[in-house]
Amino acid sequence: MLQGWIQIALTLLIVVVITPFFGRYMARVFLGQRTFLDSVLHPLDQVILSLSGVRIQEGMTGWQYARAMLYSNLTMLVFIYLIFMLQGGLPFNPTGLTAPSWDLALHTAISFVTNTNQQHYSGETTYSYFSQFAALGFMMFTSAATGIAVAIAFIRGLTGRPLGNFYVDLIQSITRILLPISIVGAIVLMAAGIPETLAGPAIIPTLENPGISQAIARGPVAHYEIIKELGENGGGFFGINSAHPFENPNGFTNLIELVAILSIPTSLIITYGIFANNLKQAWLVYSIPFAILVIFIIITAIGEYQGNSAVNALLGSEAPNLEGKEVRFGWAQSALFAVFTTASMCGAVNSLHDSFMPTGGFVTLSNMFLQIVFGGQGTGTAYLFAYLILAVFVTGLMVGRTPEFLGRKIEKREVVLASFLILLVHPIAILIPSAMTLAFPEQLAGISNPGFHGLSQVIYEYASAAANNGSGFEGLGDATLWWNLSTSFSLLAGRYIPIVSLLLLADSMSRKQPVPATAGTLRTDTGLFTGVTAGVILILGALTFFPVLALGPVAEAFQILKGIG
Amino acid sequence: MFVVWLGTIVTLLVTINPNLFGTVQADVGQQRLLNGIITFILFFTVLFANFAEAVAEGRGKAQADALRSTRSDTIARKMLPDQSIQEVNSTELRRGDQVKVIAGDMIPADGEVIQGIGSVDESAITGESAPVLKQPGTDIASSVTGGTRLLSDELIVRISADPGQGFIDRMISLVEGAERTKTPNEIALTVLLAVLTQVFLIVVATTPSLSGYIADFLDNVLGSAAGNSLRAGTSIAILISLLVALIPTTIGGLLSAIGIAGMDRVAQFNVIATSGRAVEACGDVNTLVLDKTGTITLGNRLADEFIPVNGHDLQEVANAGWIASVFDETPEGRSIVRLAEKLGAKFDLNGQPAEGIEFSARTRMSGTDLDGKEYRKGAVDAIKGFVRSRGGQVPLTLDQAYERVSRLGGTPLAVCQGPDIYGVIYLKDMVKPGLRERFDQLRRMGVKTIMLTGDNRITASVIAKEAGVDDFIAEATPEDKIDVIRSEQAQGKLVAMTGDGTNDAPALAQANVGLAMNSGTQAAKEAANMVDLDSDPTKLIDLVTIGKQLLITRGALTTFSVANDIAKYFAIIPTIFAAAGIGALNIMGLKSAQSAIVSALIYNALIIPVLIPLALRGVQFRPLTADQLLQRNILIYGLGGIIAPFIAIKAIDLILPLS
Amino acid sequence: MKLPLLNLSFPSLQTTTQALEEVLAIGSEWRRQKLPLYLFLALCLNLVIAPVVYATSNNEFSRSQAWALGLLGLGTAAISVYLFFVMFIPEKF
Repeated sequence: MLQGWIQIALTLLIVVVITPFFGRYMARVFLGQRTFLDSVLHPLDQVILSLSGVRIQEGMTGWQYARAMLYSNLTMLVFIYLIFMLQGGLPFNPTGLTAPSWDLALHTAISFVTNTNQQHYSGETTYSYFSQFAALGFMMFTSAATGIAVAIAFIRGLTGRPLGNFYVDLIQSITRILLPISIVGAIVLMAAGIPETLAGPAIIPTLENPGISQAIARGPVAHYEIIKELGENGGGFFGINSAHPFENPNGFTNLIELVAILSIPTSLIITYGIFANNLKQAWLVYSIPFAILVIFIIITAIGEYQGNSAVNALLGSEAPNLEGKEVRFGWAQSALFAVFTTASMCGAVNSLHDSFMPTGGFVTLSNMFLQIVFGGQGTGTAYLFAYLILAVFVTGLMVGRTPEFLGRKIEKREVVLASFLILLVHPIAILIPSAMTLAFPEQLAGISNPGFHGLSQVIYEYASAAANNGSGFEGLGDATLWWNLSTSFSLLAGRYIPIVSLLLLADSMSRKQPVPATAGTLRTDTGLFTGVTAGVILILGALTFFPVLALGPVAEAFQILKGIG
Repeated sequence: MFVVWLGTIVTLLVTINPNLFGTVQADVGQQRLLNGIITFILFFTVLFANFAEAVAEGRGKAQADALRSTRSDTIARKMLPDQSIQEVNSTELRRGDQVKVIAGDMIPADGEVIQGIGSVDESAITGESAPVLKQPGTDIASSVTGGTRLLSDELIVRISADPGQGFIDRMISLVEGAERTKTPNEIALTVLLAVLTQVFLIVVATTPSLSGYIADFLDNVLGSAAGNSLRAGTSIAILISLLVALIPTTIGGLLSAIGIAGMDRVAQFNVIATSGRAVEACGDVNTLVLDKTGTITLGNRLADEFIPVNGHDLQEVANAGWIASVFDETPEGRSIVRLAEKLGAKFDLNGQPAEGIEFSARTRMSGTDLDGKEYRKGAVDAIKGFVRSRGGQVPLTLDQAYERVSRLGGTPLAVCQGPDIYGVIYLKDMVKPGLRERFDQLRRMGVKTIMLTGDNRITASVIAKEAGVDDFIAEATPEDKIDVIRSEQAQGKLVAMTGDGTNDAPALAQANVGLAMNSGTQAAKEAANMVDLDSDPTKLIDLVTIGKQLLITRGALTTFSVANDIAKYFAIIPTIFAAAGIGALNIMGLKSAQSAIVSALIYNALIIPVLIPLALRGVQFRPLTADQLLQRNILIYGLGGIIAPFIAIKAIDLILPLS
Repeated sequence: MKLPLLNLSFPSLQTTTQALEEVLAIGSEWRRQKLPLYLFLALCLNLVIAPVVYATSNNEFSRSQAWALGLLGLGTAAISVYLFFVMFIPEKF
């Protein structure tokens, strides 16, 4: 038991230690200061910029930035959709896969453009190598970079700077952050035993009966693997994602993947601190998701360690819940991975979330409902500050002034955008389709485990889509037309409505005349205000989903305790 | 509140026919009873919210009625171009018309005196019974207000406002709330409340599908009793109750009452604000620009000390000062006499040929000719000249005394008798009592004060130090006022100022909060967004407090309302979903779903009238820093908002005779 | 057999104009009082929705219940739309 807790604590420690360095590095990149990679990458930037015809000096307004983001994402969406539909005739298709159904291809394309990587398929049997690396791998970089660019523009706006240029931010995110780390990471992962090959599946005789041979899927996995975690993408090369020994062979690769998952969302908060020139506030803000994260890890890990009381009664002994888990990771690393991946909207999994105890279901769902437990690539950080703005608005009046955040008044426009994006999008994108699906469970849902758990399965699928997480509770027959299309709606609503709102919010904040701080100004960098923000997050963000959680994992937990069903 | 209304209608329908939206599996009579109770409580929730607004408006109405009674139509004597007089109804007067007002008449409309001198009773609008002298030409005293009464003499007034747009008309419509438009802050809050309502609407509207799925599951596993119990728990009436409990009805019902009450508090201070926006802006003010005279100091300089020179002793100076001032009726003169008498100077002038010499701008001195001796007091330079003209010497010590007084920020007056200089009288600018503490409070609240004065730098700095203002501008011209406002605003600050003269009008318009004195000119009053009927510029400080109090009240009640949701959730959800086996979450131990719902709704309805007094009175304001205020208010309204409903709902649940 | 006399009684011109005026009055009233119009449209729309509810509910609901539920759903949707209006143009409320 102790070993498991030490593993968890060490991983968290590494994540925290990396944060300030990485955060500073990203701040340098986006503040236009010199970084050590400049000499190598500057010429590359120039080539890309001159080829694409982007003029760096051109700043964008919030709406222009949003339009640039939408148009480029739409172009990429069409591009990869065509690759999927034409993959039968394209190269690097050793297994001779044909085009998937139109709705599955559409869902996959949307899912990858939105940085979600929700997969209603198994990669090794649905998409060719070319589709995997040219379409999916490509989107893993660009969708993650889109998230970073939006976060940076948001931070710039919040701190009163011009928003910048989307294309420049997108390119810099890739060339200065994602690509260098991915290259190093892919090499390390290859050294640790992950394959990187274009050869088709290996055909080898089985151990039991040399007469029978078995095909073992493989492919260009290592480079795909690192960006999957680093970019909060989470779409596995193989159907079972990071539980597959070729994606995540041992404890070392597991650690790298865990750290990679949280590195960017955590560090962006420090990047904000440097932009705002207020590191104290950055660390205080950091403490909110970190505290929630730790609590969630403890809840999940205890649940998994104690195991299922009903099963333990049959065994006659106390055993951790290892159903759906890889033995090489055990309860601790599986629980940690599950919390990390749902917290950060990565969505990679190294165990089956469906098989977690209800406590695990509760935590993973809550993570996706909140979206700020570090949250998605870039967007999580932005959401966190949107919550801060909302907290300033609700409680800021109580000091007798029009609420201000960083000296900028919070008025109608900011409240509309902030409350809309963090309070309203989620209920619309999760609860409404869930209710529609559950109204016709036989026809639409395809639930494998009816009852409270089935409810959780459905809610999880939409939450995963709306939060752009992409992990699956699994256990749903989700490759149907209904699922593909309805989750596509959640994916798009959960991604673009908030992003556009964030950019407009940043834009209107950056245009405001800052008011100098006085003793009468509400300070947002105090412990008290941090606590208030946590309360606002809890009441406004989490209580919305209280009925759902009560009917899902909570009821299931009581059901197991009582031994019903 | 609109949502609650609709909810009430729907619950009424299901009271009449419980089977309207699906056959009730439980006892129909009981279901009807529950629906009836819910309808009843919802109805009262709406009623209470309207009541809150009505109470707040009622206060304003009473004030408006009092004002309206003064505005009864009067017959005006309109002067035609050929100087003949035509009697017309006051409502027919237009801007630019000239009317003649005779003693005893009501002044028919707002205007400016262009001819004649007369005293006017303005008690109808100011509450001040002493009549005010009105005469043409002067900035201050030439404007008259419709509805006030001329007590003596005759005036010819040029009308400056069309009917219905006069000062009193505006006041009436303001206190009545007829012109009430939402302030930016209220608008932002309305948006948040709408978003929250929308969120909870979605939550509640999607619940039947989710619970229906679980109910079907329970039918299969535990039998139809469990499933039906869950279905009963999520009947339409109960879901509407859940919705009403969750949406922020408390703040929704009180929001407009808070705003009206804020205006009302300002009105009780005898200040008329042109909009709620102006009151709110008061709370946001970062900088107060204050005139020295009349605002910071009492306006009159008072004698503080006699400084003997030229070999005279204190008693002699006091005596000379007394004689020189005995006929001087100005406050300065009176204060010299008072101080001298305190030092024992007292003469009996009876029988002696004494004559007062009045102050004139040319001589810049005044005094008394007593028995052939010329006692004079006046500006030091003037006295020097006078003494020289009488063949006297100016001693060096005079200049030393003069400088000493100047350094202290006072005004030195020299006293002489013929060619003999006796000494210097130190006239001191008296800072209003208690102002220092007020400025300290303002500083703690983060408000900066700037004093403007026409005095020289030395004098200004001494007064500034004594009053405790943060900054001062000496030798200021009216243009300086605008400049200082502009430069503060350029830094993003909100500026408040007071003013009365016509040359203050641009600055009043430029400032975010401009408080004009009622004694001031029409131009100043038009430019300002607030008018002080008592003409006390110090009130600006109180207005800052009222503005802050208004914002705090709104914030506190919002926080309270939103924090209440935790308890309501924990009361309702576990009980209505009890069939799903989560009864253990019912941490309050409420008796049943019916009892929990009804308790939460009763709490929800009753909290509105309970909070009405707070909304009207406003949260108590203390001059603390923002952090201290936040800490205090979060503790009371945030934490209190979480805990109070737990206790209250549990208590109601215990009392209710529902099973 | 005698054919019945065709005794078509045309409404007098006056009543026709009166009726026309009534219609016009209702029309102009609609322009000011939107609520009755919306209610009418909602009831019309419900004629489409109610059968759908009835059909999908496996005889769980009676016809009138399905009708009421359809109306309730429409009402909920209407409130939602109303709230969106409040959100984006709060000045008017």
